[in-house]
Amino acid sequence: MIKTIGIILIAAVIVWIEVPPLLEKQYKKELLVFSILLAIGGGLSITLFGFEKTIPNPFDLLTFIFKPLNDFISHFLK
Amino acid sequence: MMQDVKINSYQFLVLVILFTIGTSILTVPSALATGAKQDAWIAAIIGTGIGLLVIWLLITIALWFPHLTYVQMIEKLFGRWIGKALAAFFVLIVLFYASELLYYFGLFLNIHMMPNTPMVVLNILMAGIVVMGVRLGLETFARTAEILIVVFFAFFFILVVCLSPEMKFENIQPVYEMGTKKIIQSSIFYVIVSSVNAVVLLMIFPSFVNKMKQGRKTFLIGNLIGGIVIIIITFLSVTVLGIDKTAGEIYPSYELTKRINIGNFIQRIEGLMASLWVITLYFKTTLYFYASVLGMAQILNLKDYRPLTLPLGMIAVVLSLVIYPNIIYQKHFDDTTGNSLTLSIGLFLPLLLVVIYAIRKRMKKNEIEI
Repeated sequence: MIKTIGIILIAAVIVWIEVPPLLEKQYKKELLVFSILLAIGGGLSITLFGFEKTIPNPFDLLTFIFKPLNDFISHFLK
Repeated sequence: MMQDVKINSYQFLVLVILFTIGTSILTVPSALATGAKQDAWIAAIIGTGIGLLVIWLLITIALWFPHLTYVQMIEKLFGRWIGKALAAFFVLIVLFYASELLYYFGLFLNIHMMPNTPMVVLNILMAGIVVMGVRLGLETFARTAEILIVVFFAFFFILVVCLSPEMKFENIQPVYEMGTKKIIQSSIFYVIVSSVNAVVLLMIFPSFVNKMKQGRKTFLIGNLIGGIVIIIITFLSVTVLGIDKTAGEIYPSYELTKRINIGNFIQRIEGLMASLWVITLYFKTTLYFYASVLGMAQILNLKDYRPLTLPLGMIAVVLSLVIYPNIIYQKHFDDTTGNSLTLSIGLFLPLLLVVIYAIRKRMKKNEIEI
């Protein structure tokens, strides 16, 4: 619980640093991308530290996709 | 705001050197010694040679579009949607690499220096300074590199001088026992780690360097100097530690510094070596992170990349804890999928760019003739 609060506090600090200059310059698209990325980052951190759930490993997926190329390269190296 | 950043060719040289040494100084001696045994140092020399060819290919592509970064080049040559998809893949892989290096840093400090500190704290510290460097901009961290390269080479010189009495030349005999094929095969990993990865530098190379013609030579010289440092480290590891120890250690160059003993007085200066790594790792991570942030901003046509740094830094820290569950997984991944990923963004994609560029040029010529 305390970790979740900590992560939310960090996210709040990031918003406090980044958002006022963006609003001032009226960068709407930047603000949108920033919010999406912050939501992803905050969500992942809370899942990992707050709820202590495991996150699926992106490298497993990449290993699955790149299996043919891996086999080809290891064949070439032997 | 994004385009008026310029660094001079000396600063670019320094960045190339630090990038080339980067993680190679950690992992390459043991990888080379596993395959090529006592000829690991020959493999390092051959690897540097092949690496220069790869760099030459990258420079050739980069100079076709002197004012674009790699992401913009891909977009321009492949058209809007396919280009954006390929560029997004590149950016994603580079972000994964940035978090991979955070993992390397955290793991190394966790094992050797601060065993009681949780790894996440070390990763956050490193990510903090990386994000800070990227937010302050390319010029700032290029100037930092200019200062720290002096520190790096001073420490490196001390290391080599202190280790030279410990070298045993029996360890590299018989020379050239493994044969050409085996040596070239084992040098491939080194080429991938330090030269094919340099495709990331195309995010800053032609467009942010002020003298392009000099920059071309600088890129090659920087890669060569980095290669020489790796050759020296590999040679020292094999001659001082022997083949089995070099191949068996995760960080042979750290083990190397523990052997320094001059008159039973100067001993245990491995902290120096650790600072060498922290310097090179920091700049490699920063360049990866800069490339991914800038690339993402350019794909989405944003006016400024800075708002993305802090959230992406947060994501990178989480990824650095998730991508490698343990060191066995990391070793296996680096030997298989890691190679394929780097080759696909750093060699196959540029070769594809060459083909597409040639076809489009020919088509344009035909149109003019008609």
